[in-house]
Amino acid sequence: MRHPRLAGRVAIGLLVVILFVLPVLYALMIAFESPSHFLTSPLTPGSPDTGNFGKAWSGADLGVELANTVIYSVAAAALSTVLGLLIAFPIARRLIRGHSALYTAMFTGLFLPLAIIPLFAEARMLGLYNNRLGYIVLHVEPGLPLAVILLVAFITAIPAELDEAAWMEGAGYLRYLLRVVVPLTRPALLIAFLYGLLGVWNDIIGPVVLLSDSSLFPVTRGIYNFFGSNESQWTLLAAAIVIASLPVVALFAASQRQLIRATVAGSVKA
Amino acid sequence: MTVFRPGRRSGRRRYRPGRLLSRGSRLSMWAGLLIGIGVYVLFGIVPAAGNVIISFTDYTGLPGAPVHNVGFSNYSSMGTTQSAGFTPAVVATVVFVLAVTIAQNALALLLAHRLSGQGRMAAAGRVLVFLPIALGVTIVGLIWILVFDPQQGPAASLFGAVGVHSAFFGASGWAMPLVIFVQVWQNAGFSTLVFIGGLRAIDPQIYEAAGIDGIRPWQRLRRITFPLLAPAVTANVLLAVVGAFTTYNLIYVLTDGQYGTQTLGMLAFNAAFGSFQANLGYGAAVTVVLFVLTLIVALPLMALLRYRERRLLGTS
Repeated sequence: MRHPRLAGRVAIGLLVVILFVLPVLYALMIAFESPSHFLTSPLTPGSPDTGNFGKAWSGADLGVELANTVIYSVAAAALSTVLGLLIAFPIARRLIRGHSALYTAMFTGLFLPLAIIPLFAEARMLGLYNNRLGYIVLHVEPGLPLAVILLVAFITAIPAELDEAAWMEGAGYLRYLLRVVVPLTRPALLIAFLYGLLGVWNDIIGPVVLLSDSSLFPVTRGIYNFFGSNESQWTLLAAAIVIASLPVVALFAASQRQLIRATVAGSVKA
Repeated sequence: MTVFRPGRRSGRRRYRPGRLLSRGSRLSMWAGLLIGIGVYVLFGIVPAAGNVIISFTDYTGLPGAPVHNVGFSNYSSMGTTQSAGFTPAVVATVVFVLAVTIAQNALALLLAHRLSGQGRMAAAGRVLVFLPIALGVTIVGLIWILVFDPQQGPAASLFGAVGVHSAFFGASGWAMPLVIFVQVWQNAGFSTLVFIGGLRAIDPQIYEAAGIDGIRPWQRLRRITFPLLAPAVTANVLLAVVGAFTTYNLIYVLTDGQYGTQTLGMLAFNAAFGSFQANLGYGAAVTVVLFVLTLIVALPLMALLRYRERRLLGTS
């Protein structure tokens, strides 16, 4: 009995390592190789060379692009989370007629096709094309449905007596949301924000279609262009990849526990 | 992207106006609601419907260029010599969806079976398989381009050792299977977590009862675990099918739809925004066809999977 189980465990461990760790390690390794070493023996690590990072940083303009990415993704994800809360509370508390229909409409939003062509036309018409504010506004909607669904579930679990007591004492709506509901729904707010953030951060189609000035590019389009213009300078590209993914890997490392737990718990609710 | 299902609501839910709210509070509630719904309608619903409208025009997206109503010509030109690439795109889409759905769920099931535990190794495994989602399609795509570089990449050495040489992402016949592989790699982590959620929802008493009856591990997996995993299977299969039909961002990074990897989503994008095309009307028409095709496959599939759930779980 014991042996097959152990063998199975080792096999799955190996599978995870070979499949999910080695490719990432390979990119990390060649980021630290000098171009000349890489050309002669690409598969073995050379003496560590950090020259690629400086060249990639300035060559791909990573500083500006990372700043753009942070601005876009934090702003858009924060807006979707806040708007999600403003939609979710009246639904969860049934404060409006048609709360149920509104919930269904938001749920359908999870399956709306990514309509990049009309979005481009809209961006052109509304003056949202090729500017920072417009890019943020266009990225708020994709995060909304998930935020609403998560928050409705969380708010429903907060006893309604709590808001009635507060309102009787004359607490304002927004104040109440901020002081009472926000602290109590923090896990849901965090998950909605994180998924929203990852969506904007990792978007590649949006920056290709909705932006044309390179000074506005986020890091995804930046390194993709860098790849196109530095074909086969792989050590440089690898260094750019490492720099570009460091912030998101750090964020993921800090939040993986909550993110994974919420995804496991929330995914299959009958 | 996620398949969170709406929680089942007990009893009739009636509207209860917030009588205790002051006028000002009610005003702020409505203001918040209207802004939120406005954003959702303007950038979610309107674009979805806008596809249909644009598909009947010759919209180019060029500033100042006139836009005409062209009737159904964007649709009737599909599959004719005027717009070559449509029929191959349908074939590519079908291959891509089938292969991704099967491979992603098989891999995720295998991973979930081993990574659902409470131990440290399992937790570390969950982090690793989920990492590609955090890294995103651009980084993931570029990492695999490095690995499959025909000259310097480790994959070339590996295949070269058995005498196989290829341009990989730059070779017809190779590009599609590799794109499918990377798509699965990118998304298997999420499916794995959904399966783990399903595994953890299974009552351990059922296993204890089976243990008393002396059931074998394989039998246990086949007769108990897999049937009871039905809700997670439904979620994951639909997730993979809809995802594979509609997403093309990874394909864009890896091959830009070249070498036989142009699915319908990729075709729509390239018709609209690819070099020297600017045929947004045709792109929108392809998107509409893709959407209808997705519904034709996904809706009956969902009904079938739900029926299977009811049959296996024996509940309503």
